[in-house]
Amino acid sequence: MFLASSEFADAALAQTRAVGLAVPYVLVPHPIQDRTDEELTSLADQAYAAVLAAVTGNPG
Amino acid sequence: MRALVDPTSEQQSVERQLNPRPSSLSGRTVGLLDISKARGDVVLDRLAQRLEGDGATVLRYTKPTFTKPAPVDLRHEISVQCEVVIEALAD
Amino acid sequence: MRDGWVAIVKQDCPTCVLVAPVLRQLAEIGPLTVLSQDDPAFPPGLEVVDDRELEQSWRLSVETVPTLLHLKDGVETARTVGWSRGQWETMTSVTGLGPDLPDHRPGCGSRTVEWGVEADLERRYGDRVLTSRTVELADLEDEVEAAYDRGWTDGLPVVAPTEARVLAMLKGTSHAPDEVVATVPPDLVPCTVEKVAVNAVMAGCLPEHLPVVLAAVAAACTDAFNMHGLLATTFPAGPVVVVDGPIVARLRMNGDGNALGQGNRANATIGRALQLVVRNIGGGRPGGVDRATQGQPGKLSFCFAESTDEPPFAPLAERRGVPGSALTLFPGSGTVPVVDQLSRTPESLARSLAAVLRVLPHPKLAIAFDALLVISPEHGRVLREGGWDAERLVAELDALLTVPGAELSRGVGGMTEGMPPGFESVPVPKFRPGGLLLAYAGGRAGLFSTVVPGWVNGPGGSEPVTVSIEEWA
Repeated sequence: MFLASSEFADAALAQTRAVGLAVPYVLVPHPIQDRTDEELTSLADQAYAAVLAAVTGNPG
Repeated sequence: MRALVDPTSEQQSVERQLNPRPSSLSGRTVGLLDISKARGDVVLDRLAQRLEGDGATVLRYTKPTFTKPAPVDLRHEISVQCEVVIEALAD
Repeated sequence: MRDGWVAIVKQDCPTCVLVAPVLRQLAEIGPLTVLSQDDPAFPPGLEVVDDRELEQSWRLSVETVPTLLHLKDGVETARTVGWSRGQWETMTSVTGLGPDLPDHRPGCGSRTVEWGVEADLERRYGDRVLTSRTVELADLEDEVEAAYDRGWTDGLPVVAPTEARVLAMLKGTSHAPDEVVATVPPDLVPCTVEKVAVNAVMAGCLPEHLPVVLAAVAAACTDAFNMHGLLATTFPAGPVVVVDGPIVARLRMNGDGNALGQGNRANATIGRALQLVVRNIGGGRPGGVDRATQGQPGKLSFCFAESTDEPPFAPLAERRGVPGSALTLFPGSGTVPVVDQLSRTPESLARSLAAVLRVLPHPKLAIAFDALLVISPEHGRVLREGGWDAERLVAELDALLTVPGAELSRGVGGMTEGMPPGFESVPVPKFRPGGLLLAYAGGRAGLFSTVVPGWVNGPGGSEPVTVSIEEWA
């Protein structure tokens, strides 16, 4: 699976369609580049449950 | 849009199937692939911590550049060493 | 299309240009619809229907321009092609048409019958003939990889089965696409002519090869041949297709040099198509129901024709009761060459052949396994010069291959493998009656023949099957 920022959502969908394989992905809020370490750590925590669900196939 | 005529008995769905998902990550080897966009490593560091806390073995990989697909050797290495791959962070 | 006269023309046709004034005459007398195949401004001075897409021309089966036809209540009542004053006046009941024109002038070809156009129009406007579902490829999907990704191949790339290719393939037989050819094991799925055609396309067949593939599929799926057993066994056997009759020359199959090898399209693709049907329709693949321990290269494709170059005996299919274009399906487990470069007599040659046949697939196993012996032309010459036909050779081999059962028992010769108890005191033939088949193929030079060891016969095993190909044309 892959992680992408919300800005990437359309591109992510297009890419999975283009290769014909529905790879799971999880979106995180944009922006990324100018956030502090603490903000990014917190963002990872918030996404973790969805990441787990995507790779194990459990709704979680 | 190109269409091919299905040569099979049509007993299975046309969609390409993903590999089966494991039911939990405890005891599994998870690969974290950093696509080398700035600050992605911070997010991956935290994910690695959480995954290890849940009993997974975490291996880290880096794509040489985010502008091209991962090289064949890197893909092969990951596919051989890991059961699950998380790629981050595209923005 | 409204009732009245209908004229189909194209600007790029001198006869159509010639009759333009006649059409203007007719337009003033009665309802006239003019279809133009290439220029909606032609003919000038008339209301013209733009048929550059050729849909109307195709539906009206126009082959020549100009065509003039008459519709009443939507049904065609008369038609004439080209220009002929006599025919046009008779058809329209109008006199004095084209007074300045010559009496007649032939027409030109309609655009609908240009090379490649007809097939395309049929695909676009014809009733949909195919009932298989289609698989849409994603934009970035490569056709070759798509087939691999979906498990459709035998390891080699396949020809992408587009609708156009499948439709073209179906023209190779008069049988309807939805006709069921066989029920294919192991999944026991009814396999239609259409599905065989799809796999024949993938294998690389031409439409004229299709009847052979259809016959092979039908033969393979008989209870006698037992394709399921053949797939499921750990033994390395697979179907071998031996083709006889006029179809060999018509399809330019190879029964001569390297007949059992690579290089001939018909040989290679017909054998391959059969295996693809087994895999894709029947669901029989390695790792699944196909449990062959080691397998062998012949499981990719193994199909050859018998040679017609001075054969010492009648064709295999004919000897098995099916004359003409026919094929024999044999459960073969590889090829074993037999060298004999010195025998001048059939008696001596037979001993060489027997010595090799005796040990396949084990020297101490008898009766249970069949074999196919492919005699080469140089060995065939030895037989022919000695006056031996197929029956004579098989009788000699059967005699040479009958040994005291005690020699074959388990443990004898330090080999645990062997015949089970009960055969010690009787003579035991290597082959059951009819278990040794003879074929004739190969190039003119080479004093070698080939044994194709078989598989087990009897219940649970496979019986070679011979079928006619002609009914699948």
